Amino acid sequence: MRIRVLHFLIIVIFIFLALSLINLTLFQGDRFLDLSNKNCIRLIPQCGSRGKILDTNGDLIVGSSVSYDVVVLPQERGAMEKTFSGLSGILGISTEELWKKFRKGYSEPSVPVAIVSNIRLEEVAALEERKLDLDGVIIQSTSMRSYPYAGLASHVVGYLSEIDRWRLTKLVDYGYKTKDIVGMGGIEEKYDYYLRQDDGGLQVEVDHQGRFSRVRGFRPPHSGKDVQLTLDLRIQKITESAMEGFNGAVVIMDPQSGEILSIASFPNFDPSLFVKKNRSVSGLLSDPQSPFLNRAVSGQYPPGSVFKPIVATAGLESGKINMSTVFHCPGSLQVGRREFKCWDTHLDQDLLQAISHSCDVFFYRVGLAVGPQSLHDYAVKFGLTRPTGIELPYEESGFIPNPIWKKIYKFQKWYAGNTANFAIGQGEVLVTPIQMCRMIAVFANHGSLVTPYIIKAIDGQDVSANHRRIVPMRIKETTINSINKGLRGAVADEKGTANVLADLGVSVAGKTGTAQNPRGLSHGWFVGYAPFDKPRYAICVFIEHGAHGYASAVVAKKIFEAMLEEGLI
Amino acid sequence: MNTSLKILIAAILIAVIGIVSIYSSTSRKEGELWETLCQRQMIHVIMGILAFWFFSRFNYRWLWDWTYFIYGVVVCLLFLVFILGIVRLGAQRWLSLVWFNFQPSETAKLITIIFLAKYFSMKSIGDVRLLASKFGLWRALVLPFIFVGIPMFLIIEQPDLGSGAIVFLIFFIMLYLSNVKLRYIIIFLAILGFLIPLGWNFLRDYQKDRIMVFLNPDIDPLGAGYTVIQSKIAIGSGGFFGKGRLSGTQSQLKFLPESHTDFIFATFTEERGFAGAIILLGLYFFIIQQGMRIAERTSDHYGKLLALGITLQLGMQAGVNIAMNMGMAPVVGLPLPLMSYGGSSVIVTFIALGILANVSKTRAVF
Repeated sequence: MRIRVLHFLIIVIFIFLALSLINLTLFQGDRFLDLSNKNCIRLIPQCGSRGKILDTNGDLIVGSSVSYDVVVLPQERGAMEKTFSGLSGILGISTEELWKKFRKGYSEPSVPVAIVSNIRLEEVAALEERKLDLDGVIIQSTSMRSYPYAGLASHVVGYLSEIDRWRLTKLVDYGYKTKDIVGMGGIEEKYDYYLRQDDGGLQVEVDHQGRFSRVRGFRPPHSGKDVQLTLDLRIQKITESAMEGFNGAVVIMDPQSGEILSIASFPNFDPSLFVKKNRSVSGLLSDPQSPFLNRAVSGQYPPGSVFKPIVATAGLESGKINMSTVFHCPGSLQVGRREFKCWDTHLDQDLLQAISHSCDVFFYRVGLAVGPQSLHDYAVKFGLTRPTGIELPYEESGFIPNPIWKKIYKFQKWYAGNTANFAIGQGEVLVTPIQMCRMIAVFANHGSLVTPYIIKAIDGQDVSANHRRIVPMRIKETTINSINKGLRGAVADEKGTANVLADLGVSVAGKTGTAQNPRGLSHGWFVGYAPFDKPRYAICVFIEHGAHGYASAVVAKKIFEAMLEEGLI
Repeated sequence: MNTSLKILIAAILIAVIGIVSIYSSTSRKEGELWETLCQRQMIHVIMGILAFWFFSRFNYRWLWDWTYFIYGVVVCLLFLVFILGIVRLGAQRWLSLVWFNFQPSETAKLITIIFLAKYFSMKSIGDVRLLASKFGLWRALVLPFIFVGIPMFLIIEQPDLGSGAIVFLIFFIMLYLSNVKLRYIIIFLAILGFLIPLGWNFLRDYQKDRIMVFLNPDIDPLGAGYTVIQSKIAIGSGGFFGKGRLSGTQSQLKFLPESHTDFIFATFTEERGFAGAIILLGLYFFIIQQGMRIAERTSDHYGKLLALGITLQLGMQAGVNIAMNMGMAPVVGLPLPLMSYGGSSVIVTFIALGILANVSKTRAVF
């Protein structure tokens, strides 16, 4: 009887053991397998290098330097001794020195220690050859962004930083992970997908003390693709040095194709600060001058007089004026109950003179004759109110008012005075410098609206054809020619507003603008192109609170002078 | 097929599984000691099989006459361990013989069974009935407990709580199996229940820790609880078919301590999975079933008690060890019989099975 009881007990115990075995291996097996892998598998990243950013001639704007470091996994002392003697033979560093470095860098048994950094390529090859004898030695390549020109074209290039939550939620489906380094702003952000490298890694097995046991797998890193820009470094350097000391933006574009040759925005920043994780970065981010704002594409400003070529086009195209139309400028014009001033007393002005002298009264009258809706339509035709489509992030669209908008959104009537203001590019009109550059290019290329583009090739493959888009605007040739004459007059005419550009070795046509704004000094604008008869460069210089368009014309002069000196024109 | 042959075959199978697992768990550990472990265990097993053969031919009645002598020798050995044993893993359990480190506590388990089997099957001259049923409290409980208590105390003092507890359990089971009055056993249990809280104070700190950790392994995941957690990971990660030969990361990369001795079940299960483990459990169960059958068929009371004691001791030790591997019992230093590395344990287990086989063979004589 008692035997039966014990026998039964033993059977119960074994059934119980079998059941808990089932529980552990079958029901919780996956969880434990996961835990077991976490126990013994460590990942050692191997970085690829991020794609380079090149200028149109293939010169380096932003590069990636790869440094090879020798990393050692902590092991038993005997094994390490052997490894170190092998290493010292190849690297020519004494074993004592290696031990010293190892002890200095050692933190935990599971953390690999970098003992020699930045070894030469021959040494890398030699180490790879003798890999089998060197237990636990890993050559880790780390990629660092290098900026040979510091802040040059910083807004075009952008900078690199750790991914933020907002970007992560957008990009997680594309394989981005937390702690990833991604481009912020500029090409780095817009073309991050191409530029970013594919990091590989080693999967190694470690023992209970985290010491290296064996390599389980290896995924080679892949470098990112190079992006070649249409930017010309030589011109970029010229524009940036000409803008020294001003806040504002310069855009230089090929008016025939829309190829951007230079974009500068000031104040700029040094992207390498982000690489070094410099403290001053946070200061830059909160700077009231907003150095990270790319004023060329994201800054919206009233255009002032540089808007006038559009008004002139509207007047000529609509037939409200012709070449022999003359308006008298007594220094001001009474519109409604308000008196609208001109900046000078120009007396009788025809269109050519009015453009050359930037006579406000003439354009008040043209604007009033054409009407605000029609002005608005022509502005839209010139590509305003929408982004130009350049491959840079955060492009703004600007704003052009019209009576219906005013009625719907502001519950206000449109007065004739609004039209007068509109006609000289004031009031609610807002444009970006790149839009103005594109506008002046229409006159330079005789009537086509181009789409500015900045990407020439990706990974050596020419993609510019995908971006080039030239839309004929169907403006009468005579209209274009007349306005061009006026623009040339502004430079060539002794009384022209851009006369400062007259005695250059190249014939420039252009228009200055002085845009009043409620926040301080007027903005200075200059839009133009050169050479006059065969335009190769369309330029827009914008100086924030530059007081007068003259200042911008001076900057443009400096740029053209330097370009002439370098034989670029 | 002969019952004893079945037992022998099952035992050899388990021992071979053990050798393979020891090979696996030591294959990636460097050092001379590790490399020779597997060969040494093979020698142990061969010696064990020889011992099995020897004891199975040798009439177990002989043991009756020599019981007190063997008992005396074992107690002496335990004393010797107490005085000049080798300290290994923080415990003093081994006696260094010329070529062999001997662990007397393993023999103590067997001699306790033999001793109690004899004690409870003594008859008085002229009375065919067993004395045990007529024993008073003194002779039924106190006297045998003193005899068992001496080696038990020496074992616990080594300290080897696991073997001590097994010896105690053997005593309790033998007491239950003999015809001692049930109320004595109840009295015994009552006293025990009263003594356990007192006994707590006599335990070493690490033993207290282990029991606390058994109750909740997460209180000390890197200390005493570490082994249990790693062992459970090893077993669980095996899944149904295991990670395969020589691929058990838990044991090979030393996350699992004592992977070739007390935690060999985890080592084996990690590589062979549920399928292998259930076969192993089946083999143990098979030996126990055969042992129980031998006991049932034996009419001689001494032989019956011997067979039961040996079978149940094997079952208990295997059960506790496997339960401990799966985190269902406190971690006490207790080898898995036949499988764990260790000469004393393997040979003594084979001897015990040899005696069992002998009981099976000679029962017809009486």
